[in-house]
Amino acid sequence: MPTVEFGGKTFTVDEDGFIDTFDNWCEEWVQHVKKEEGISELSDEHRKIVNVLQDYYRKNGIAPMVRVLSKVTGYKLKHIYELFPSGPGKGACKMAGLPKPTGCV
Amino acid sequence: MAFISSGYDPSSPMKDRITDIGPRKYDEFYPPVISKNKGKWLYHEYLQPGVFVHVAESGDEVYSVRVGGMRLMSIGFLREICEIADKHCGGYLRFTTRNNIEFMVDNKSKVKPLVDDLMSRKQPGGCYKFPVGGTGAGITNIVHTQGWIHCHTPATDASGPVKATMDVLFDDFVNMRLPAHLRVSLACCLNMCGAVHCSDIAILGYHRKPPMLDHEYLDKMCEIPLAIAACPTAAIKPAKMELPGGQKVNSVSVNNERCMFCGNCYTMCPAMPLADDVGDGIVIMAGGKVSNRVHAPKFSKVVVAFLPNEVPRWPTVTATIKKIVEAYAKGANKYERLGEWAERIGWERFFEKCDLEFTHHLIDDFRDPAYFTWRQTTQFKF
Repeated sequence: MPTVEFGGKTFTVDEDGFIDTFDNWCEEWVQHVKKEEGISELSDEHRKIVNVLQDYYRKNGIAPMVRVLSKVTGYKLKHIYELFPSGPGKGACKMAGLPKPTGCV
Repeated sequence: MAFISSGYDPSSPMKDRITDIGPRKYDEFYPPVISKNKGKWLYHEYLQPGVFVHVAESGDEVYSVRVGGMRLMSIGFLREICEIADKHCGGYLRFTTRNNIEFMVDNKSKVKPLVDDLMSRKQPGGCYKFPVGGTGAGITNIVHTQGWIHCHTPATDASGPVKATMDVLFDDFVNMRLPAHLRVSLACCLNMCGAVHCSDIAILGYHRKPPMLDHEYLDKMCEIPLAIAACPTAAIKPAKMELPGGQKVNSVSVNNERCMFCGNCYTMCPAMPLADDVGDGIVIMAGGKVSNRVHAPKFSKVVVAFLPNEVPRWPTVTATIKKIVEAYAKGANKYERLGEWAERIGWERFFEKCDLEFTHHLIDDFRDPAYFTWRQTTQFKF
């Protein structure tokens, strides 16, 4: 598996740039994904989405459905796309260190 | 090759971004005779296999020539299609819902040169590039999927078996001798992308072994509850596993007695692969249709439980399909689709006429509805 270095840390990632395991998630990873996803400024709203995703994943073992994410954060899907141009799966889940979305996507 | 930018700036991905513009509107690409007579067609008629004419209220005629397409095609091939359209059809053409290509001309005198040109073009190996046919009561193109070309869950290939099957059924592509049209479809796993569940004859990739579990990576790569919920027979449950190194990890365990090898869990969880070279193969289904003509739409039913993958020509599969087609052509009444024929004569007769073996695999055992597929009557033939 390829690795990336950022901020003095080394991460193992898959071919789509998702981190190998949630346990290796850290602040440097957030900064790395911010650069990868072309996000200019990390706002509190970005942080809130990442936190919600991580709390939900720790508690339930899965990523939340988009409607749950919207309801808990209070952000409409349109706003989530404004924050993460690649969307909640490829953008926000990647930044939160969650496993890569699967299924017929 | 050196990098050539399209003008996209990776440092500001949202700059000058165009989105939500949808497809081009269909009428931008109408041939003039189509846009002029849209909604005013009187009748149509098959002139020969692959060639049909539509006549409008105004007396205008449009002649369509349908040719087989292999669906997976190169840009070089598409350019050749465009060259033909430029030469004969004023640059217009269309693709059908079964991935055939249709060239349209507005005058009968233009049909023969077009057909002759199409039939004269061959691949270096000798195959027709543009075989004219696929109309009426024959066998048209096979709706199929990605197979080993591109997908990660297939149990068989798509393009290969389709080529092998169409070679065997080619005479029925260029003729209209069957009782009714006969639709063949292929899907390379039981996701059934496409039309296998509703086709006269369906070729379906099938596994026969349970998934292998990659305990070391499972919890890291997969959302375990999703893998558990993906199982239609509830064969998967969460489990703590000990790796050879002594480390305890969260994982799943599979009850092999309950697993029927659908592969849904692998779709959701990359650490549960199940493809196998000798285990995987093909199931043949028959008797489905989508039209409402005479009888309501039907699902296709499993008639052959397993045939092995025989790369590259799948001879057993193609021979079995040929057998079903010939029995149907001989036995069915005019206008009778394969499923209607099988239900009229009874499925026990269908297996006899098609010389197919009936095995216990074909008896439905999935949940309550299975009961309704058993015979609750004394009406049957010896």
